[in-house]
Amino acid sequence: MKLLLPFLAQRMIAGLITLGGTFSLLFVAVRLVPGDLATILLGTRATPELRAVYAARMGLDEPFWMQFWLFFKNLLSGDFGTDIVTGRPILDLILEVLPNTLALAFAAMFIAVMLSTALGCLAALRPGSKLDTVLGGASVAFISTPAFVVAILLLISFSVQLKWLPVSGAGTPGDMASRISHLILPAVALSIGWIGYLARLLRGSLLEVLSEQHVQLMRAYGVPEPRIVGRFALRLALVPTVSVLGIGIGDMISNAVFVEIIFARPGIGTLVFNALQDRNYPVVQAAVMLTASIYVLASLGVDLVNALLDPRVARGLSEA
Amino acid sequence: MTPNLNRRAVLALGSSALGVSLLGLKPAFALGADGSLVIRSDADIAVLDPANRLIAFEDTIIQACSQSLARFKPNSTEWEPDAAKSVQWVSDTEITFELNPGQMFHGGYGEMTAEDVKFSFERFLPDAAGNKPVFADDWAALDHVEVTGTYTGRILLKNPAPAVWTLAISDVSGAILSKKAVTELGDAIKTRLIGTGPYMLTEWLPNDRIVLAANPDYAGSDKPAFPVITVKPIQEAQTALLAFQAGELDFTAVDAAAKDQVAAVEGAKLLEQEGIGFTWIGMNAAKAPLDDLRVRQAIRLGIDMDAIIAGAYAGNTGRANALLAPTLLGYWADAPVYQRDVAAAQALLAEAGQTSIALSLTCLNDATSLAVAQIVQALLSEIGVTLTINALDAGSYWGLSGTDAVKGLDLSLIPFSAKLDPSFNTQWFTAAMIGIWNWQNWSSPEFDTLHTEAASITDEAARAAKYIRMQQILDESATCVWVTHGRALFAHSAAITPALQTASVWQLRYFAPAKA
Repeated sequence: MKLLLPFLAQRMIAGLITLGGTFSLLFVAVRLVPGDLATILLGTRATPELRAVYAARMGLDEPFWMQFWLFFKNLLSGDFGTDIVTGRPILDLILEVLPNTLALAFAAMFIAVMLSTALGCLAALRPGSKLDTVLGGASVAFISTPAFVVAILLLISFSVQLKWLPVSGAGTPGDMASRISHLILPAVALSIGWIGYLARLLRGSLLEVLSEQHVQLMRAYGVPEPRIVGRFALRLALVPTVSVLGIGIGDMISNAVFVEIIFARPGIGTLVFNALQDRNYPVVQAAVMLTASIYVLASLGVDLVNALLDPRVARGLSEA
Repeated sequence: MTPNLNRRAVLALGSSALGVSLLGLKPAFALGADGSLVIRSDADIAVLDPANRLIAFEDTIIQACSQSLARFKPNSTEWEPDAAKSVQWVSDTEITFELNPGQMFHGGYGEMTAEDVKFSFERFLPDAAGNKPVFADDWAALDHVEVTGTYTGRILLKNPAPAVWTLAISDVSGAILSKKAVTELGDAIKTRLIGTGPYMLTEWLPNDRIVLAANPDYAGSDKPAFPVITVKPIQEAQTALLAFQAGELDFTAVDAAAKDQVAAVEGAKLLEQEGIGFTWIGMNAAKAPLDDLRVRQAIRLGIDMDAIIAGAYAGNTGRANALLAPTLLGYWADAPVYQRDVAAAQALLAEAGQTSIALSLTCLNDATSLAVAQIVQALLSEIGVTLTINALDAGSYWGLSGTDAVKGLDLSLIPFSAKLDPSFNTQWFTAAMIGIWNWQNWSSPEFDTLHTEAASITDEAARAAKYIRMQQILDESATCVWVTHGRALFAHSAAITPALQTASVWQLRYFAPAKA
């Protein structure tokens, strides 16, 4: 605990710097993109007067430094503003769809961890065998196949041909069975790449742990292999895997946009994508800010889990 | 080590299978046992206020949930009374109406009266500060509405404006809202629609679903055919096609390339709808060398429009020869059908002192626009014009409007949607629109005069003649090479009969189960 607190403090400061940098970059980047909301939404109906009205409502008539200041000031006070298109609070728009994206990302991560652990263990227990070769090939195939290709294949197989699972939407609110049935295919599509990657990672680290002297000693004492792997080796081998899960959550939230569009699933991805297409900057900024915060928090959580699994992580950092 | 299929494993597998079956993972068909209908829109709705609506699909929802004085008949541009018992022109600047009694607004907001009509129409006028709603132009000629009785009134115009009938009275800008509801709900009417139409908006989950339920109090004779209509916003055409193939949708627009796949679905039908929009290649007449009429004529002769229709549209649309589509007033049936003539094009360029020209073609970055651009690029290279394609995303492309960049354009591939009144479609080619939506930067005093005159005369034959003359002037200018009016393709369940006002506005109130 003595080492853990300074470690966490350091990670939190790093997280805040990351967030500050992300927001600044985002603020500048969205304003460099040509086009304005009124023209995109209203087309030929967008008179110069209407364009000016829409720009003013988004605060774009203020000087750049003032827009930047107001952005951070409102951010710190938790005021995300009102969407000028629908007139609804932006926070409401985000909170309506955020659970869908989080459910998708965590379900995909759950699937990826469960399957990759099983595949990684199977491959590591028989290195060089036909099974290992097949699983290695499958992992590479999983990693190299884009999520949208997997999504289309899954839809054709399980929705169009077999009619087992629905194609589009997030399911009926309050109906758990409907929600889960709408989650399965998108989560599998999103997880595929990570299944292959984590399985390869786990196989490598497990083989390394299994070759260490303390494991040889356990074998010499006659400890059963499943117990060695399940109880001792896997725990150590998981450390590098857990390290990448933080990145994994961020990656899944960002990749969710493709899956959400293909499965016509409401979520943060589609919200940001549509808002960006419409040049609806306040919605883009608020949504990206929230997802970046989630990413930083997930990374923090992973660092904490890592430090608990292997105290050398915290020690190493505080000694550095 | 081999997998150990013990009792525990068997139980785990069995319970998983049971769980999966309990989740209801079974085939789903859109037309439910309760007769509900599921359709797809390619974008979600955002604003349901008729004066400030944003996308075409909002028109579809507003028309399903509200009434106007008149409405278009199913699959037709002919009108018939809707909320009105009678509505008629009594002079060039006056329309009288009498409402049917007993038309009740959704949500307990009472009966529709002439006061609601006055309120709904006068909302389009500028406020005290001069601010106008988005669709103010539809009612630009309105002076005021005079209430003469509970159900009767007079619509008084500032000047003769026949377009008011098609753009406002019979269309979405003529939707009659509850004055009481709008006053009470304020900004919330953007997402709550209180009308008297055959359907009521009962649920809207953004980007997920829009649910319309039949209005039990609907007073019209055309009772809603479905108890519930669910709209699923699905952006991707491929996803929509898969959802249709899986039986999740009863009606959706599909890409022309999907024709065969739809035909292979059991119980599916295809519906083709000719468009009224216009896509054209515009030439900037204010910039050298395109300021020379002969250069523009040469480019027009260098383009093989039939090759573009076959190559970029796979032959799934018709060729346009003028601005106005065949179904619109003022259609120019005798418009010249230009055929490619490389020798004539080269001769014109030589006459203009141009043998090698480098130009740019600005277009949207969708697959069809890019294909058109590439074909034009290849064709024009044969007459000595080197074309650079400048493909932009929708935001950047439409954002050119009103900027200095418009002055620097050479050729532009421009797709515009259209309205049923020709005046809406000719306005983009007037001098007032130069630099805004007139990217040809071309103007003609005669064209502008005819535009103004045609918009204010009620004699249809005389109007049509003026619009034809305007298209002749455009043709003489050689600033526009017309590509297509578009053709939309829809896939639908054979169990239903859809109805469309245009390719982008669907008449949900007339959707019905197919007759045996």
